[in-house]
Amino acid sequence: MSEPKPKAPDSPPPDSPPPDSPPPDTPENERTRALVVLSFWTVVLLLGLPLWWFTTSIYRAPLPLEEMQSWANGRACRAEFPLLVDVEAPTLPDPENLLKTVQHALDDANDFSAHHLRLRLAYGKDDERISTTIQSDLQPERKGETGGPEDEEESVAAILRLAPGTSGSTHSYQLHNSSRVIDLYYSPSYNPSSSASSTSLALFISNTLQEIFREEQQMISHLLSSAAAPSPSPPPASSGSNNSSNGSNKINKAEIQRKMSRIMRYSPTYHLTFSMFTASGSPTSWEVEQSIEDYLQPLLDALSGISNFTVDSQIQFYASLSPNVVPVWVPTNPEVVVPEDQQQQPQPGKWVLKKEDLSSFINSAEWPLVSITSYPTINFIVYIPSKEQTPLAIPESATNAFLLPQWGGVMVLNPTEESHTGHISKKDLKPAMDIFAAQLLSLLGAPSRPLSLPIRIDSLTRQRSAELLTSASSSLGSLYSLTKALPSISIPTSVLTSVGSTLSSLTNACRELKKGRFGGPGGALEEGRNAAYQAEKAFFEKSMVGQVYFPEEHKVAVYLPLLGPVGVPLIMNALKWIFGMVKEWKANRRGAAV
Amino acid sequence: MRLLRRLIAVVLATSLISAAVGSSSSAVGSSSSSAVVDDDDHYEYDENLLLKTLPGNSVLASFRFVMNGTFNNHHSVFPRSLAQILSQSHARELHLKFSLGRWDAERWGTPIGKAGGTGVELWAWVEADDDAGADKRWTTLTNALSGLFCASLNFIDGTRTIRPVMSFQPEGHHSEREMERLHLLHGSLPREPVCTENLTPFLKLLPCKGRAGISSLLDGHKLFDAQWQSMSVVIKPVCDGDRCRLQVEQTVDMVLDVERSLQRRDSPVPKPRSIEQLNCDATKFYGVGDACFPQADLADLPWSLAEIFGRPIRGVCPLARSGSEEPAAHVCAVVPAGRPIFVSQDSYEVKRQDGTRCFVLPNGKDFDIILPLQSPPLPQDISPPPLYASRSFTGHGQERGGVQAVLRNPSPTDSVEFIYLESLPWFMKPYLHTLRTTLSPPSPLDPLRSLFYRPVLDRARGAHLEAALTLPPNSTLTLSYDFDKSVLRYTEYPPDANRGFDVAAAVITIPRTGFAIRTTSLLLSLPTPDFSMPYNVIILSSTVIALAFGSIFNLLVRRFVAADAMPRRGARLMTVRGKILAVVKRLKERGAKRKTE
Repeated sequence: MSEPKPKAPDSPPPDSPPPDSPPPDTPENERTRALVVLSFWTVVLLLGLPLWWFTTSIYRAPLPLEEMQSWANGRACRAEFPLLVDVEAPTLPDPENLLKTVQHALDDANDFSAHHLRLRLAYGKDDERISTTIQSDLQPERKGETGGPEDEEESVAAILRLAPGTSGSTHSYQLHNSSRVIDLYYSPSYNPSSSASSTSLALFISNTLQEIFREEQQMISHLLSSAAAPSPSPPPASSGSNNSSNGSNKINKAEIQRKMSRIMRYSPTYHLTFSMFTASGSPTSWEVEQSIEDYLQPLLDALSGISNFTVDSQIQFYASLSPNVVPVWVPTNPEVVVPEDQQQQPQPGKWVLKKEDLSSFINSAEWPLVSITSYPTINFIVYIPSKEQTPLAIPESATNAFLLPQWGGVMVLNPTEESHTGHISKKDLKPAMDIFAAQLLSLLGAPSRPLSLPIRIDSLTRQRSAELLTSASSSLGSLYSLTKALPSISIPTSVLTSVGSTLSSLTNACRELKKGRFGGPGGALEEGRNAAYQAEKAFFEKSMVGQVYFPEEHKVAVYLPLLGPVGVPLIMNALKWIFGMVKEWKANRRGAAV
Repeated sequence: MRLLRRLIAVVLATSLISAAVGSSSSAVGSSSSSAVVDDDDHYEYDENLLLKTLPGNSVLASFRFVMNGTFNNHHSVFPRSLAQILSQSHARELHLKFSLGRWDAERWGTPIGKAGGTGVELWAWVEADDDAGADKRWTTLTNALSGLFCASLNFIDGTRTIRPVMSFQPEGHHSEREMERLHLLHGSLPREPVCTENLTPFLKLLPCKGRAGISSLLDGHKLFDAQWQSMSVVIKPVCDGDRCRLQVEQTVDMVLDVERSLQRRDSPVPKPRSIEQLNCDATKFYGVGDACFPQADLADLPWSLAEIFGRPIRGVCPLARSGSEEPAAHVCAVVPAGRPIFVSQDSYEVKRQDGTRCFVLPNGKDFDIILPLQSPPLPQDISPPPLYASRSFTGHGQERGGVQAVLRNPSPTDSVEFIYLESLPWFMKPYLHTLRTTLSPPSPLDPLRSLFYRPVLDRARGAHLEAALTLPPNSTLTLSYDFDKSVLRYTEYPPDANRGFDVAAAVITIPRTGFAIRTTSLLLSLPTPDFSMPYNVIILSSTVIALAFGSIFNLLVRRFVAADAMPRRGARLMTVRGKILAVVKRLKERGAKRKTE
């Protein structure tokens, strides 16, 4: 309408015959038209497309990808586990020299540099220190406060007390159940001036310490190496262990692997459920509350520095085994021929479960074992077979119990005559509780040796720290590859904050590990716990997952009725204009050439 | 599945470890050996079954299981899963009801037990500091129960939750101080189809799990074939002086049609009977030949437990111990006085004062009750309920409608004071000014004593109406109000939107006696759009925009040329036309010349 009807001055007179093509337009009109098309395109390109882009694009927060990758590869932090061993040698002349030799021996023998023992001679106030140490042994986090100012920084892994042994004896050592003290009795024939004697003692000390911490070292080395395995540059730890690979080491590897596969994933809280499943209607009660209080609670208290535990118990009657679990009757003495007249008498023997049936022993369809807690549940089951199937035995098990990796433990308790009356006393439950305690430690991943519980719990702290560090790092790695692999998922800011918090916690944890502060507030375990929690939170962000399943085709289908009719004239006109320009340019060139 | 993947390792627990643990524990353990008071009624479990014949060859079977537990974490007969849910959600008292079918009060009299409305009904007293906290815990509770009972309880959200003010009173014992912190929340899902998947977890909570005792009769096929059935779980603290315990009462009530059960037994596939087997009334003149006028209630049909439940009771549940004062009677039967009952051997009968015949189950042996054929049928004494209630929709069209509840007091002497509670979905918007109460026969007294009303908030909460009413003897009260129907958003419609929307049953409680009945649930039809509409809208609006754009763009960009400036399309055609026109012109001219000549 705004366009004036072209009244070309050179239009043919009405009487002349009509031409074959419309008359050429005026240059102003051509220019106006070009400007119109151009302005449309400008609006589309400058306003339309950016608007469309911004309103339909997915928000992706800028993640520190490089840093995440370096943690996932294990390049960001070389975890170190320096263990401090205090040496008390009040009676030994020239202990410094001996310590130097032992330290050398330890350093030489150590093939995994991240985990190393450091000896320190404890001076003065020894007696006082030891006594406080022993008292506070079950609460490892209190150690820092009771020790000297140096101890605030670093916790002591063990105390080696050197004392002369009885005359005529060789070197020997002794561990205590409930303290970190290692009593080492050296042979009275020890002579510090003689180098042979000194070397033999030094060697003995270093071997002893290595033996005590060997399992922990293997576990941590396994954890760190398996976490870093997919990375292109394996840390020196794995190459070190490769050098010394011999037969026994390989067996150890399999053993460690087996142990690792049992361990529950770390959680700050675990729920323990003690269940009594009886195949019949009896027994109807058990003294589980007191048994737990007396036999298990001390252990749970000792472990409270690592994880907390909530406990409940239940009795389930008429709990049948899965239909495919059928015990077999095995007579005790198959050779004995039972006389004809005694055939009716019950033959001595037992019911034995097949080993392959143990995997389906838990009848999860029928047995109510699920908890609604948000943290993992460890189940301990006392199974009481029916009278017809008593005694029921598990093959190759002296304790009649077995452990279900990452799940819990089961013990078959064959009722005695009096316990069939309907009550299971605390005395009857003691063996079960002892086994459950052992199973709990092994499910949590505590090393099976040495004897001393505080040392084992300390080991567990270090091990869990390493595990948390590697799991947080690998979560970051997964998040990294996820964001790389799926460009269409959104990354909200909450993920960015979580990743930031993970990274700072990881850095802190790494620093604390180097300092040797494992447990306690602000220690490596706590930082690692936070790192793992935040990393999981970032990875399992709900809004990220939702976007993945949004089909892109829908968007196109919705916009097509608009984009098609609008886009086609725009593109056609642009093409026409471009062709016109090209033609004109060619004509101009030809004209110029002529 | 997870189980299958689990590796198995047999732990040979070393004596080393047990020694380590044992010694560390003994130091602490020796001091704390205070014995827990262990008396028997802490762990008591009671179950009983009431069988009652009803008119019209129906049998009411009412199962009741009571389990007592402690408040700590160590459970015996009390189900651990329920205890865990209670502690996680801080619920102090909980009522959960699943119901199916309708209790026919006109035929069957006073309802037995306290059944909920059709579908699922849940109410609980939750301990919390404020309303927001209570809502959060209520969500926890509904989600946990939803998982435990395989029901859609997690759909009880803010729009389906109300806080009744008058209707419900706690049944358990709560101290004054506790009551101040308790929040009562109520929600219902009238549409929930109650079925076997709800019964299975229900049975798992019982100590004998359906393997022994009366629970061995409970089978989904029979239970959900009943004319009316209701399952309920009530958890409450029960105090006896200072000593309190947590009690869970699970009940299953059902009305079985004996004729139908027997027919099912004879032929699992329902088939029409042959004419000889029909009971025809020959006295009717049209009841001859092929026509049959059915004759009902000719006889009380014979039945036994094994026939109507498909199996007998499998012995006694050894854990079932009822109160110490009398021998435990597990199965009781209420039949007309003249009707004989035969029971299995090894069980003995306990006579009650009120004529109820109770039996003690044998240990380890099957138990059955047999009632022989009784013809002519014996009269049943049916006690009328204190109130009859029915509710229906009035009006027509998809814009607005009305609700009318008819409540009848059958008693000739006593007036009834009751509370009428209605929880409406948010898309039903009642007009309170249209609320009318009409008494018939008319009476000067205003039946409406007090009224509580909380209006609708769109998509946030539903309407909550509670009215305290008085109904004079032998009269009928009609309560009615009008409402508007909302139009829902496209995504808010369920997959089968044209079926309609269920409106939860109204709850009628008589506070004086604690008696409660429910009306039936209603089916509300809302204006339902054509569900291809959004795509049509998108395509149409896109087309309009594209049209506008196209015409403007063309106007601006197209060059307009005079028609004769362009080569004529079909120029030859034009010349032919021109020639014809010229010829015609010439002929006309010639004609004109002749005229002039």
